Amino acid sequence: MPSTAKHIRSPREEAFLAQVTNGKYDRQIISDITKFATGDVPQDMQNFYSREELDDILSLKGTDRDLQARMPIKMTRHYFEQAQNSRPMQVLVKASPRETLDLSGAEDPGKQLTYSPCEGLIHKYELGLLYVAATCSAHCRFCYREELIGRKEILREDGTTAPKGLAQLGEVSRYIKEHNRLVADNGGRHPETGRERLREILLSGGDPMVLGNKNIAGWLAGLAEAGIENIRIGTKELAFYPERFDPTFFAMLDAFHEVYPEVNLRMMVHFNHPDEFLRKAPDGSYIDNPKGGLEWIPATRRAVKELARRDWISIDNQSPIIRDINDDPDALRIMQRETRRNGIENHYFFCGRDIVGYKAFNVPIERAWHILNESQKGLSGVEAHARLSITHYKGKTEVAAVTNEPMPGVRGAENGVLIFKLLRSAADASERCKVTIVGRNPDAIWFNDYDDRVIFDEAGLYSMYGVKPAFLEAAE
Amino acid sequence: MTYVVTENCIRCKYTDCVDVCPVDCFYEGPNFLVIHPDECIDCDACVPACPAKAIYRDTDLPDAMAHFLGLNEELSRIWPNITDQRDPLPDAASWDGAEGKLAHLER
Repeated sequence: MPSTAKHIRSPREEAFLAQVTNGKYDRQIISDITKFATGDVPQDMQNFYSREELDDILSLKGTDRDLQARMPIKMTRHYFEQAQNSRPMQVLVKASPRETLDLSGAEDPGKQLTYSPCEGLIHKYELGLLYVAATCSAHCRFCYREELIGRKEILREDGTTAPKGLAQLGEVSRYIKEHNRLVADNGGRHPETGRERLREILLSGGDPMVLGNKNIAGWLAGLAEAGIENIRIGTKELAFYPERFDPTFFAMLDAFHEVYPEVNLRMMVHFNHPDEFLRKAPDGSYIDNPKGGLEWIPATRRAVKELARRDWISIDNQSPIIRDINDDPDALRIMQRETRRNGIENHYFFCGRDIVGYKAFNVPIERAWHILNESQKGLSGVEAHARLSITHYKGKTEVAAVTNEPMPGVRGAENGVLIFKLLRSAADASERCKVTIVGRNPDAIWFNDYDDRVIFDEAGLYSMYGVKPAFLEAAE
Repeated sequence: MTYVVTENCIRCKYTDCVDVCPVDCFYEGPNFLVIHPDECIDCDACVPACPAKAIYRDTDLPDAMAHFLGLNEELSRIWPNITDQRDPLPDAASWDGAEGKLAHLER
């Protein structure tokens, strides 16, 4: 177990950090539903929840269906102002009793703790993920980190329970250096796990962009000193509070780049719907920019352009497809076109995970595939790079194709098939691009909904749980 | 929405909260700390970190401490920002839990 002693800064780190200043931000955050009920919110927010909605939500307080306990309720003024004219944005940020109608789901989706060598670090193959903040400026109701944000007691591998904790730089830095030393000494592969060097770290949470510049700078420099070449920041702050991307933040980034010119920054941003970044006319339509494309919210566009003009920073958007928010091909088509035009690559769309309460948010897997496929009709090739991904315990898996035609003579394929492709395995690289084929089930929202119609399982998505292809079951 | 530092911080000033605050929203007076209500992001990290149990979410603020909401707001606009943990005040342990500490607040 790595020691928990504090990180010791190098002179180079100290010199960089001495240049960093914190900006001042006024997010005007509103959290806690009781504030809406007592009228203790600004005048223009008074009707954001109807009296009926508030009564329904408050009646669940203290029960096992308590919405605030499942996921704290929180939003910024910026998000509220856009959401006033956007039903999808309201669904994203407003608590609803349907969230806790069915509480089935996994406490630790993706079994992250299996891959956690020290508190707050998840090491999946060449990529490490760090929890550096346990909150965001606002909270998406569908959040798949609700166990972290809501500080829930999680069963650990050793049988104890405790809330998930945040990463500490000292411990993480020592783990990275030790792992990479063992890999280097062993000719490029870890002697026990066969993994390659840790080259890339994702700062996540919560949202790292809620942290002050000095705090973010401490992570960037500490990870660079540990030998990390690519640092990702996973953030929804462009949607929640774009003013966070202010001159003090960019001054910090520029100072970092001066000192660590070979470290890349990969901004993993999170827009779910074009309403989050586009201006709308009073009739609800988007506004044509006479010079091309559509009109953006100025602060959001300014932030994106400032990121995009730095050649060592890339910007990728990732979004789940969530019921009543963006299960809409037209919205996704506009989003992919506008993000790409403005320097944001479209990376993944996700099927919702099997979090507690997932049945309120997830759309069926085959429908999600259909929505994305429809949205990409009429996009140019470069605009349509995004793939649909679903996160299996084994790793990130693409929903590669859904067919309408039956496969003659194949048991389970009477209504067509769905093809899963394992994109990257969490433990090692050898299984990349292996395939699993299942018979269609239009109602399926998670892998186990296909247990009775597995046709071909090269990727081992089902065999690892003892589920065999249907024809083998029949033969036995 | 914000979190609020209340009376039992006075003359203790342990500053453990400063170490865990992700947004550096604590401001420091001679014998008391306050939270800037606009900068606080409601993350809850400081509440369990405070050895004197002096920090509350505004919606959980006991009635007897209600006036500390305004006091945090007022003083955070005057006092300097504190971003690094320091030693507590010399008699912190003996003042922890003492009655009537507001009378000892230095501005």
